[in-house]
Amino acid sequence: MPDGAIDNPGLAEKFAAYAEAHIPGARNLRVTQMSRIHGGASRETYSVDIAYEDATGPKVKGVILRRDPPDSLIDTERRIEFAAIRTAYGQAAIPVPEALFLETDNGPLGAPFFVMGRIEGGTPLNPFRIEDVEPHRGSVGRAFFQHLGAIAAIDIAGSPITREIDSPSADGCWKRELDYWASEIETNAREPQPVAQAAIRYLRANPPPPAQKLSLVHGDYRSGNYLVDQTGDINAILDWEMAHVGDPYEDLAWATDLLWGGNDQERAAGLLPWAEAIEIWQAASGCTFDPEAFEWWSLFAHLKGLGIWISSARAFADGKNDDPILAWSGWFTHCAHELMLVSRLAQKHGVEL
Amino acid sequence: MSDVGMILQRIGATLATEVAPKLEGDYAGGHAGMAGIMAVMAGEMWDKEADLLVSEIARLRGLLGTAGLGSDVPETASFRISDLKATRNALAEQLITLQSRLEDRDDDEARGLNEKIWGHLLATSAARMPSPPEFGAPSEDVSYPQSSGEGGWTRPPS
Repeated sequence: MPDGAIDNPGLAEKFAAYAEAHIPGARNLRVTQMSRIHGGASRETYSVDIAYEDATGPKVKGVILRRDPPDSLIDTERRIEFAAIRTAYGQAAIPVPEALFLETDNGPLGAPFFVMGRIEGGTPLNPFRIEDVEPHRGSVGRAFFQHLGAIAAIDIAGSPITREIDSPSADGCWKRELDYWASEIETNAREPQPVAQAAIRYLRANPPPPAQKLSLVHGDYRSGNYLVDQTGDINAILDWEMAHVGDPYEDLAWATDLLWGGNDQERAAGLLPWAEAIEIWQAASGCTFDPEAFEWWSLFAHLKGLGIWISSARAFADGKNDDPILAWSGWFTHCAHELMLVSRLAQKHGVEL
Repeated sequence: MSDVGMILQRIGATLATEVAPKLEGDYAGGHAGMAGIMAVMAGEMWDKEADLLVSEIARLRGLLGTAGLGSDVPETASFRISDLKATRNALAEQLITLQSRLEDRDDDEARGLNEKIWGHLLATSAARMPSPPEFGAPSEDVSYPQSSGEGGWTRPPS
């Protein structure tokens, strides 16, 4: 097979040396293709083809390389993402790539990185064009909520994720997440945020019920972060960088946030009727749907979105990252989440829409 | 020619519909498409930003004035966007403080003013919601946001 384009020859050369040293028995390893994947603005993501020989003959393999930015100071998130993937891999048919290497040292590639197996044959669903899921809306929707529930059902006792980060108490999940995102907003906001601040106060004053269980929380489970194959099945769940241990309702609320479902008011995540989606999620997760808990976590999802977008805008404005998608996030998606949040909270305070 | 809004919108459309497709498969293609979308958004905002800020400042002064606040924030030095924003931000900080105090009270006056503040926040967010851009065929690149084509996130969740 002829070699393909290599976006970053210097990186490819270093990666080849690293991979050869870390794949047991590999020799004469070379990178035959390396292309940077757009998106994932917080990290560089490359699709890489490698070819090598071992005792059984020639081999080719497709992998995904995710490298922190050169100035990154946070390798903690890299370790957590790696541990989360390892926790979910092989569990209840959840389609997760195989975690291959984790390198927290800057030496080999200039920044921490990890490598996972590449899952072939799927494409991501753009949340802003959710209608592109047709004619597989139903099958994708059923798989979406099945996998979401299955992630919540993983027995995390002694799992890799629990060895990397602390687990909150069942009645402390909400506060830990709220405190984190309130701090992100406080730290990164470039202008006063009266809606976000009012939402933080409201959520703090009206806490949700304790978590029904502590589970692995993907943290960014949504359209755009899974791949759909040609048969309408989800064949990969990606982007585990915000994974943690917490309340499964956090993932359910984020996954069904209107932003990720094309603003579809009728279908959960823009995919399934709500009743069917919840039924699948309950059966797979072992949780019982609680409207009170969902109400809190779905409001929190809007706020968490604001935290992400405010941080994105800060990174762009400070020149730490010139990817225009950060400016888009800091503007359009910020406005969208803020409008969702203020609409719901204003109603709770007597404002008629 | 100083029709900034029109210029930005045309440049944005060129980037998104002519330049970006020629870079398909290259990492820069995603940047070009996003830059095009942002230019169109900037063109729209260029036209209405001053009007939005003047309206927000007037409403903020009205709400704060009810509680005897805001008079220490001087009138805007000019109609430059940066000056208008500085004034709006100073007043918005006071609004956050005022609303927080109102939430600690349990009387009709506080609830009434708080409701008006929520009305202001809702009106502000709705007015600032950008029009969703529409640019031809979708990209397979998920990081290239596309329009919902539904008028844009203005409805509250059910």
